[in-house]
Amino acid sequence: MAAMVAPENTPVWVNTDRCKACDICVDACPAGVLSMMAEPTSTLGAMISVIAPEACIGCNECELTCPDFAIYVAEKKEFKFAKLTDASKARQEAIVNNKYRLPAGY
Amino acid sequence: MAFNYDQYLRLEKMPTLWCWGCGDGVILKAFIRAVDKLGISKDDMCVVSGIGCSGRFSSYVDFNTVHTTHGRTIAYATGIKLANPSKRVVCVAGDGDALAIGGNHTIHGCRRNIDITMIVIQNFIYGLTNSQTSPTTPQGMWTVTQKAGNIDPTFDGCELAIAAGASFVGRENVTAPKKLEKLITQAIEHRGFAYVEALSNCHINLGRKNKMVSAMENLDWIDSITVSKAKYDKMSEEEQLNLLPTGILKQNTEVREYCDMYDDIKAVHQGKRAKITQDDFVKKI
Amino acid sequence: MATREVISTGNELAAIAAVDAGCEFFGGYPLTPSSEVMHVISDLLPKVGGVAIQMEDEIAGICAVIGASMVGQRALTATSGPGISLKAENLGLAQMAEVPLVCVNVMRGGPSTGLPTRVSQGDVAQAKNPSHGDYKSITLCAGNLAECYTETVRAFNLADRFMQPVFVLLDETLGHMHGKADIPTAEEVKAGIVPRKRFDGPADEYFPYQAAQDEPAVLNPMYEGYRYHFTGLHHDKNGFPTEEIHTCKALIERLFNKVEAHEDELESYEEFMMDDAEVMIVAYGSVSLSAKEAIQHLRDEGIKAGLFRPITLWPSPVDAIRKWTSKIDKVLCVELNIGQYHDEIQRASGRLDIEELFKVNGRPISPYEIVNKVKEL
Repeated sequence: MAAMVAPENTPVWVNTDRCKACDICVDACPAGVLSMMAEPTSTLGAMISVIAPEACIGCNECELTCPDFAIYVAEKKEFKFAKLTDASKARQEAIVNNKYRLPAGY
Repeated sequence: MAFNYDQYLRLEKMPTLWCWGCGDGVILKAFIRAVDKLGISKDDMCVVSGIGCSGRFSSYVDFNTVHTTHGRTIAYATGIKLANPSKRVVCVAGDGDALAIGGNHTIHGCRRNIDITMIVIQNFIYGLTNSQTSPTTPQGMWTVTQKAGNIDPTFDGCELAIAAGASFVGRENVTAPKKLEKLITQAIEHRGFAYVEALSNCHINLGRKNKMVSAMENLDWIDSITVSKAKYDKMSEEEQLNLLPTGILKQNTEVREYCDMYDDIKAVHQGKRAKITQDDFVKKI
Repeated sequence: MATREVISTGNELAAIAAVDAGCEFFGGYPLTPSSEVMHVISDLLPKVGGVAIQMEDEIAGICAVIGASMVGQRALTATSGPGISLKAENLGLAQMAEVPLVCVNVMRGGPSTGLPTRVSQGDVAQAKNPSHGDYKSITLCAGNLAECYTETVRAFNLADRFMQPVFVLLDETLGHMHGKADIPTAEEVKAGIVPRKRFDGPADEYFPYQAAQDEPAVLNPMYEGYRYHFTGLHHDKNGFPTEEIHTCKALIERLFNKVEAHEDELESYEEFMMDDAEVMIVAYGSVSLSAKEAIQHLRDEGIKAGLFRPITLWPSPVDAIRKWTSKIDKVLCVELNIGQYHDEIQRASGRLDIEELFKVNGRPISPYEIVNKVKEL
């Protein structure tokens, strides 16, 4: 398989040159790892951000569902992924309910 | 797990011109993973695309690529394949390209069972040209050519492919990218005409005026109208009416592939075998 | 030049010529009166390892041919007027993407279904612009049985030289005419094959569409390590779509210039008894056979008629036309259409008084019709 080497100690990383802020990866993540942030210079006024990398469980849903080659997940041997916790699920729900943006003060 | 798509892409063309959240990108990624899994060299692959958003598919991949006229991918691909049958030829077209203007060529590509993989990006609308009705746009949806509500009936491209003689027919969603990747892998591996329908979301053109403004809503709708073939086969006709089966819908490895059969014609004319007669075929009509 | 005598029909000769000239692929569809080209080549090609396929319609026929040519093969299609109409959009793609191919048109009565089994020369204007947009057509016209062979051979070499479709016009009379012809030997033709240019440097230095303004694209065969893009859209040096204003302008101008700057390589015409001619007859295709006989009769009666027969119809032989029309008063254009080349003779000569003998009812023009018309002038 044509593999890409993960940056050191990184579970998931994004290429902001390619991200179109479609929200799909934020929606797909079960653990509240990702969020859109306001970004006035981008077309949709938003840009992806990895807000809670430590919560990433390595499920790979974000990489598989991103249409724009903009997000990548490390190999199991490259990073010790977390387990899915209630706190992560709660944060994810909050993000989805706030139009895919982490609520202020969360 | 991070897949290096870059080695298969024409990087100077990135980012793609597809809308934010368009499923075309997911299908492109699944296709690239399939090619990588099969170990096909970039030089041995030809991708032929039609006109539409799906038409841009071929510009993005670093293979031998051809962007044809509307509806004609299979006709071009037939010539490309016959000129060098040992290489891989994959067609990519939208539902309008493959089933409206290109319907005739789809039928005959299936009929010949020529070793081409046809990926139909099924988003139920004409996307690039902005929301005209396609042969699969559901009745009652808003389109720009039927703002009063679409009255045009739909039909199932996979059923057409099966009836016309394709030896491999399958369907998957962009919401299931690993399954889509597996289906495309099997389709390319299959020697014969492989028809793969990849359901995609066009929330910008189909969704926007049909209550599916966001990519997620459109993706949820696709999920809601599909069900695995195993489950589908057990349903009543009523239940089946508004569902499309996914997975491999037909696979026949006994049917002879067209280029192989044409080798017999060459052998006849070169005096290496007797003329082909009805006795050479099990199916005599 | 080594020749051989054959007894054949025009359609059959076109098919044989294609195979002798290195054609490896035929894609087509039955259409009277061209079908015999397909019938004959469907036996000849597989014998030499090539492929002939009857596709599901005329459009699929030309698309398959373009596909095979993109892979690197010499490819042929054969049809008649209605088929050219159907193929038009994709002929345009071949022009735009600079894909060589040969398209034989055995002309029949038109327009529309017209007269399927009867002769005309009604597709001459169409051959100049079968498809939308700006491009320069190369159209050859066989004027006798032997030329059904030699012009098809020439078409393949010109297609590879100029990297675009080349039309070979026959008409129903010639396509179905069965007679004797002296044609080059197959060895002679093979030795004269000039294949399309190719680039042999490193792949990262290969730009298929980066050609000088008077030269065609250099399109390497597929699958040999030079990966590029074919498209009907405006494109840059790699073949990738672009709308950039300077690139688009330069591309269209190059599609024209590559032909216009080298018309000397394309020009072909016959001057039959023109040296002392006082009446210039312009005729091409099967009509030229009647014209030659008419000229013999006229000369017996003391009328000094001569025939100017264009063989390459497009681009037209403007200089030669002008040379003769500027010194000969009586110029008569004889054709089986309602003045399609007559218009071109007027345009090229600058004269608006070119005489006309047109016939559009599907019947050939006899020598005596020409004799009588000349006497009226």
